[in-house]
Amino acid sequence: MATQTQVATEPTNAAVVEQKLQKLRELYADAPEVGKAALQNGLPMLTKELAAPSAAQTAGRIGARQGKVSELTVFLPFVKGGAKRLRGFLQLLEGNFRAADAVGTVHDMRFVFVDNDTKLLFATAYDGDFDPYIADFAAKIPNAMDLWLCNFEGYPGMRNPSAAADWIASHQIAAEAWYVNSPNLTATETRRLEGVGTAVDQLLDKIG
Amino acid sequence: MATQAQMATRPTSDAVVEQKLQKLRELYADAPEVGKVALRNGMADIAREFAALTGATGVQRAGRVGARQGKVSELTALLQIAKGGAKRLRGLLELVEGNFRGADVVGTLHDMRFVFLENDTKLLFATAYDGEWDAYIDDFVTKIPTSMDIFFCNLEGWPGIRHPNVKDWLVKHQITADAWYVANPNLTVAETRRLEKVGAAVEEFLDTIA
Repeated sequence: MATQTQVATEPTNAAVVEQKLQKLRELYADAPEVGKAALQNGLPMLTKELAAPSAAQTAGRIGARQGKVSELTVFLPFVKGGAKRLRGFLQLLEGNFRAADAVGTVHDMRFVFVDNDTKLLFATAYDGDFDPYIADFAAKIPNAMDLWLCNFEGYPGMRNPSAAADWIASHQIAAEAWYVNSPNLTATETRRLEGVGTAVDQLLDKIG
Repeated sequence: MATQAQMATRPTSDAVVEQKLQKLRELYADAPEVGKVALRNGMADIAREFAALTGATGVQRAGRVGARQGKVSELTALLQIAKGGAKRLRGLLELVEGNFRGADVVGTLHDMRFVFLENDTKLLFATAYDGEWDAYIDDFVTKIPTSMDIFFCNLEGWPGIRHPNVKDWLVKHQITADAWYVANPNLTVAETRRLEKVGAAVEEFLDTIA
């Protein structure tokens, strides 16, 4: 939860960690042999993980967040002909998404065709909370959104941003667990740091 | 392909852009109304997008399976959960509360999600990582074999991280993304971490001389 990370800054005491380890041993009592052996051998790292304050947060309405970075995972049902159109469109774009660059809050995104092209798995890592994120897309690139989302059942259109957000949320499945390596960096901040890094290198070259 | 990135840097010619637009019009001829309207209204933007294509990025491969953009690749796997595995895995994830020290140790993982599907019978496991597939998996095998077994023993058919067939098992369940976008494709995990420190040091420096 969002507030827990601010509150729990003291290291969890040994008794709580031991309780958690006990819970884990119980959970793995009927695990396959390889899992039981791994639990035995993995106790040192697990103990550290269990002692750390919670890093699990939510992205508002739906989805998991860690630090500044959230996840969105949806399975969208294609309309008839939708898979062919979307695949064709993606091929023409050759993996270039300048529209996503324009929005500026997307870290990464993948389009995966599943279940014999009847569904699309769309998964992104993005900055901040769900509702402002979707509102940003509706405000900045409504056409681009309509172009790819029109290929799915029930899509209400980005001109109706709140209905579109509801529609996305209805197909979303929140991740049970979510890990981000650099949770304090937004996509924009990372870009800025890339520029800072280049400037520092140049400076060092000049005085070197 | 890796080599294309070094070669083609010229923007796409007008004729190629027009060809692509024509193809798109054909694709969207039978689209829902909202899509047709969006295509009409967005034509200028799309033309610019096509014109900017240089062949410099494009969809690249992460080796054996998966897509790559620049230095960052995607792994997307749909895995069957073994009997009793969902309860164990969920319990484990709840106890860990997002603290994946093992992933930090591996050092090539940008992000990772565990999503339970279809009444807990399937798991979607998706990551963004640095470099090529084989090297990435090797890293897990050598650096955190035990953590891998603790998580993945809950999946149907998991051969164990030390089993010679473990890579084949993974490949079999992986689905390559048709499209993959990375906002900062030139930055590995290690490079991003370094830059975070550089940024902090620069600010400290500027404060000192101010």
